[in-house]
Parts: sequence; structure tokens; C-alpha cells
Amino acid sequence: MNHFVTEGYVLPNQMHIYWTTMIVLYPYITGIVAGAFIISSLHHVFDRHELEPVSRFAMIMAFAFLLFATLPLMAHLGHPERAFNMMFTPNPTSAMAGFGFIYTAYLVLLAVEIWLLYRADFVFLAENAKWPVMRRLYWLLALGVMDVSPEAKALDRKVMIFLASIGIPAACGLHGYVGFIFGAIKANPWWASPLMPVIFLLSAIVSGVAMVLVCYLTVQWVKKREINGPCAYALIESAWYFLIIDVTLELLELLNRAYMANDDWQILKALITTKLFTSFFIIQILLGSMIPFFLFGSVVVLKDRMAAGTRNAIGLVGGVLLLMQVAAMRWNVVMGGQMFSKSFRGFLNFDVEIWGREGLVVAGLVFSLPFITMLVISQILPLWGGIDTFPKKFMKDVEPPRRTLKGYSKFG
Amino acid sequence: MTDLWNKPEITRREFFDKCSEVGAQTFVFGGLFLTTAKLRLPQETALSASQEKKAEQAIYGFVVDTTKCIGCGSCVRACKAENNVPDGFNRTWVEQYTFFPNGEVIVNSPLGGENGFPDNLPERNMPKELEQLPVRGFFVPKLCNHCIDTPCIQVCPVGASFVTKEGVVLIDNEHCVGCGYCVQACPFGSRFLNPDTKCADKCTWCYHRITKGLMPACVQYCPAKARIFGNVSDPLSEISQILATNRVQVLKSYLGTRPRTRYIGLDSEVI
Amino acid sequence: MEHARHFVRLLALIAIAVIGFLGVRAKVVPKDFGLTGHFRQSAIPEIAAREPRHLGSAACGDCHDKEYTAWKAGKHSVPQCENCHGPGLMHVKVMSEDSTDKYPDRIKKNPKALRVLSGIQECKWCHLKTFERPSTLKSIANVEQHIVSKGGKFTPLSKCIDCHNPHTTVVK
Repeated sequence: MNHFVTEGYVLPNQMHIYWTTMIVLYPYITGIVAGAFIISSLHHVFDRHELEPVSRFAMIMAFAFLLFATLPLMAHLGHPERAFNMMFTPNPTSAMAGFGFIYTAYLVLLAVEIWLLYRADFVFLAENAKWPVMRRLYWLLALGVMDVSPEAKALDRKVMIFLASIGIPAACGLHGYVGFIFGAIKANPWWASPLMPVIFLLSAIVSGVAMVLVCYLTVQWVKKREINGPCAYALIESAWYFLIIDVTLELLELLNRAYMANDDWQILKALITTKLFTSFFIIQILLGSMIPFFLFGSVVVLKDRMAAGTRNAIGLVGGVLLLMQVAAMRWNVVMGGQMFSKSFRGFLNFDVEIWGREGLVVAGLVFSLPFITMLVISQILPLWGGIDTFPKKFMKDVEPPRRTLKGYSKFG
Repeated sequence: MTDLWNKPEITRREFFDKCSEVGAQTFVFGGLFLTTAKLRLPQETALSASQEKKAEQAIYGFVVDTTKCIGCGSCVRACKAENNVPDGFNRTWVEQYTFFPNGEVIVNSPLGGENGFPDNLPERNMPKELEQLPVRGFFVPKLCNHCIDTPCIQVCPVGASFVTKEGVVLIDNEHCVGCGYCVQACPFGSRFLNPDTKCADKCTWCYHRITKGLMPACVQYCPAKARIFGNVSDPLSEISQILATNRVQVLKSYLGTRPRTRYIGLDSEVI
Repeated sequence: MEHARHFVRLLALIAIAVIGFLGVRAKVVPKDFGLTGHFRQSAIPEIAAREPRHLGSAACGDCHDKEYTAWKAGKHSVPQCENCHGPGLMHVKVMSEDSTDKYPDRIKKNPKALRVLSGIQECKWCHLKTFERPSTLKSIANVEQHIVSKGGKFTPLSKCIDCHNPHTTVVK
């Protein structure tokens, strides 16, 4: 039995923290999904052409992360073998019951979007991939239909734009409902807030944009390829705007609580000034919000006057800080809400589990799976450009259709 | 539908029209299904038909008289033994409130009160400045409040938490997935995740005893008569008499969960 | 639609998945789920059917008549038998068997299947003087002082039952 060191009076059943690392990891993963999808949609739906170099990657990244979003939950459940009860007998008043359906619907939506995005490539590779087994795979991925006529492509494009437009509210739902899971719990004053779904969603977008930015800069640097200036700038700018709204709302919520000073304020004040001081003020606010705010702000304000190398370096550092900020935010919400007792008279200390079903090692493993998946996918599909950027060694000696990235996105 | 698919040419409009028609039907029927969930028939009870007729729909209630509790912990021990409650968790517990001249209040509940309460002030691990004589103190037994507007049933994603017709809130250990949402949603800390069954767990008002005409274990084994259980819809029952003649309070009434467990003698320091 | 064949196949795949899901659901969800509310109806009788582990003092009296009558007539009749001795179900079951072979280890170690009493700790539960207890309850603050004041000899192994009959409180 885990023994948690307590101070003051903690209710007997609260001597144990129930929602730990896995429940911090789950919204982090779905948040990255939402943010990456927004980036991709900015390109497909809102015609932000600068984001073209990352739009395919962002979609694949969203999909790769979404594939593993259920793992932390399964590792947490007392009865993971009954997990499907949430979809078989969902309680209509429970936000958590929405998980199964929202998740599945979104997974299907993303899968279809990616399928439509890459369908022409599947058809091409079904003919021109080097190995027979791979040709079979591409044929299956194309669902056996080799139609890439202009009419089919036009239809694809229409459906893709439709899906991308409903994908944005769907992404809001996918992450908004997680915020609602916390925000609607009146029993926990640290969680109960109508702003919680909005804050979760905005920080999700920040984390997704930051992850796309960090991955883009890292991959291009490792592969010694050119970093597209307007693209990097657009990512930094989007992250900056969303960061501003996100931190504004987070601080507004805190300010509101402090000002109203309800019966819960004494314990919450003690919570954030003692137990959460480092993780909230130092990591989340100072390092995770203020520094990226100034860093990215200087990129946005200076624009072309800033050297590309400086901008990329700031993008990388700031992106990593933002990823840390969102992880800290999730931690502060989930763990912070359980580190004080509902008696309002006591605290618990949380010793992070390293091994064990819900430990850091498992969290690290789960978090690395999307990256491994993307590596595998990069061997099957071109992540960063058109089919002409796909390694020649995977294909027969045929010249792939030469399309500029611009033309490709317009399906023209 | 079939003749549409046999047509050599199906226009885009017809395709999307049919899809939206199917989608709309799904939406309507799905919506009807979900909304009628609230209008389901009232729940059944475990009593036999004749017992039920006799009871005329008993509604159970609980009263905790904190003026009588002596903090012996018999209720905690009886409950633990009766319901196999694992170590480190409590279906019911007793809190000790001690007030000091400087206005400070110390609350503690060693093991939930399972071994009673130590007397010596130093044994209670209190700060040195409080080793003055306290001015007053009392015990408050707590348990699941079996609320009318339960937040725990509201948030259970799979329907493992439910309420019977008599107003007793129960957990289905065969259906619970152990997500812990109900544990977070309970404002009173009555719930916990049982490490043996891996399901949510809480006081059931000894449902397996009250349906056999017995009292809950904590009520039967309280030597001070601090706990009363009974049928509140019977005006002649002991609990109805007590409710009629006492000022009663509930915990955290401002949260609107409408607990069925009432307390006599609560102090403003009891949260 | 000639150019929508891939969509038709996609929708067919999705439809198969949905039908498969509904099929599995129909098999897995218990038939009595949702009958009278969003829960499994048979959970209620299942929970109600659990065996009570405390039997009540009258059941103890069936075998332990002497102690029961003394207790009922004495000054200590407020706490029940099982308050101190623990629940009686296992005790009755084990005592009506010839051997403890079929029981788990903890029963084999404690063949009477009742709480092992110390003769002092159980009394302290109620009768240790704490500030919060009402003064109407007879209690002592210090065991050594109590024994000495009554003219007895205190040792670390002193128990209340050395002098007091636990069922009637009468001093021997």
C-alpha cells in the first residue's frame, strides 16, 4: 500500500492519489493531436499556404498520437478488459462516456483525411513500389480503386475540405470534453470552472503547434534540409497567439478565484504557494509562458529583420519550453487537484512512481510510441512533401510525377 | 435505396442526399434513444412483491447524532469486518475535533478511528504551541451520504453506480471499470478505489443487511446510539420521530447534492 | 457515381465496423441492463444476497448461554458481543466443522475465527479518557494510576480483565 505523507487533516479515503501520471499523459497526447490538426486545417481549410511544408506531417503526427491515446487510460483502469463498457453502456450524463465515441469518430475522421490526402500516392505506389508486398499494401490502402481522374480528385478535395471543416469542431470536442471532465466536478474547487474546457483546448493547441514546430525544425536540421522561413514563422506566430489567449485565460481564472476568495481559497492559496510553487510559478508561468512569450514575441515583432538562424533557434527552444509548459499545466491541474484534501484542512505529497503500471517508465514508453510510428510511416509514405520527395530506393526506376508542393495542395 | 445504387450514374447530389437522409434518421433515433433514457421506469427493489406492498415503498434515511458519539470506533471496526474493507480505506470513519483557546481547531482521524482515539495530547502529534488545554471537542462519524442528486451516479461513464428505489446508492462490481471518476466527484470523500476488487467502493448502508430486516453494522454496534437508520416514509419509525423533533443539518449543503444522511449537532468547523 | 467507387468502399468498411460493433455489443451487454435505470438490474439482488457477517448477540446466546445471560443482566449490556469479539459468522461456520482444513491459512492460525482479544485494548476503545468524550461515560486517564489507586500491582502486562469481568464489569 502506498503511503503518502500528509500534512494537516486529510480525509481517510484521500490518503491515496487516484489519478496519476497516466491521467496527466492522456490529455497531453490528445492535446497534441488537436493542435497538430489545427495546423493542418489552417492550410487545408483556411488556405494558409505558408504551412504547406508541415501540413502533411501535422496530419500524420495527429494520427500517430491519436492511435496511442487510449493506452494511458487502459494502463490506469482497474478493469481494462471492461473498457468497452464505456461504448456499450455509456451513461448519457457522464462526460467520460463520451470518450469512446468522440475518440473513435475523430480517429476515423483523421484516417479518412489522411487517406484522401495520400490516395493519389497510394495509387502511384501500388504500381511503382519496389517490392511486391509493398505494392499489395498500397493497393489495399487505396481500397483497390485506382481512379485518379480529375473528377475523382475533385471529389476527394471537396470531401477533404468538408472533413477538415467539421474536424475543427471535432478537435474542439475531443479536447474540450476532457476539460469538461475536470471543470464540471463541483467536489473539487481546483477543477470546477466553466473556463476549464476552453483552457484545456487552448493549451492543447499550443502544445500541438509547438510539437509540429519542434519536429519540423529537428527533422530538417537532422536531415540537413532547408527550413522554410515563412513556414517556421507561421508556426511561431500561431503558437504565440494561442499562447497569449491561453495564458490570459489561465491567469484570469486564478485571479478570479483569488479575488472572490470563496471558502476554498485558503486551501488553494496554500496549495499554489507551497506544494505547487515550483511546478506552477516557476515551470508553467515563468519558464513555460513568460520566456516563450518574449522569445516568440520578438520573432513576430522583428519579422524579417531577424536572421533565419536566430528565428529557428528561438523556435526550437521556445517550442520545447511550450511543450514543457503544457505538460506542467496538465500536471498542476490533475495532481494539484488531488494534493489537497476535500476536508480543506490538509495536503498530500505525491512521490512520482518510476516503475509500475502507472509510472514514468510506462509513460515514457507510451509517449515514444507515436514517434516510432511516425518513423515507420515515413518509410511507407512521404511525410514532408509530395511523392517526388519519397526516397527513390523504395520505388522502381520510374520518374515520379513531378509536382510542386503548391500545385499538389490545390489538387491541380 | 437499392434502385439508387443500381443506377449507372448517380449524381453527387443524390449521393449526398441519401447520405444525409440516413444520417438524419440516425440522428433523430439516436437522439430519441438518449432523451428517453431519463424517462425510464422507476427502479425496482430487492424486496419481494409482498414485502414491497407492505413497505409501501420504503425510503431509507440515516441520522448521525454527533452529540452522542464517544469516538470508540466500534462502527468503523464493525463496518470493516462486515464489508471486507481493505486496510487504508474506510467506508465509514470518525473525525475528532478539538478546539483550543486561541481559536485553532485540530481535526484528526487516525486510521479512520479504527483503534479508537489516543488521549495524550503529545500522542496526537500536535504542534508545541497547542499543548494547552483544549476548550471543547467532539467526534463526527461520517459515511456515504447517499445523496438524492448524486454527483457520483451522474459521472459514472458505464452505469456501474446507481440508486435503488429505496434511495440507496450502490455500485455494480461486475460492471465497474475502475476509472475512479466517481471517487473524484464525491464531495465528501466517501468513495475509494478498492485495491482488491479494483472497482469503486463505498458504504452501502449495509444493503445486504437492511434487505433482511437487520440494521447496518455501524448502527447495530454503536454503543452510544449515535447512528440511526430507518424508513423515513414511515412517520412512526424512530428516524422519522428524530427528524421531526431535532434540528438537523447536512454536509456541504451549498453543493446541492441533497444528502439523505442528516447530522445533529454539526459545528461550523465541520466541513 | 463512377468516380466515387473508393468512397463507396470506404463507407462499406465503416458500415461493417459499425455493424460488427453493434453485434459484439448485443452479445456482451447483460440482458437485464437498463431495465429499470441505467444499470444492470441483477446487481441489486446480487448485492442484497451477500451474507451478513455479524450475527447479533442472540445468536451467540444459542451456544454461549451462560455468558449471554450474565451479559444481558449485567451493567455492560450496551455493547454487543460482536463489538469486542468481532463478527461471528466465520466462528459459527468453523466451529460447526470438525477440522479447519478447508479454510485459508489465517483461519488455521486462529481456529476460533474470532478477534484475538488483548483484555485491555478493547476496553480502551471506549473507556480511555479523552477530552472529547462526555464525562458521563466512565473512563480512566491512566491505567497504572487506576490500578495503584485500587490497591493493585501494576505491571506492563496488566489487563483490565485481571480484575473486571468483561461481560458484567463486576470486579473479581
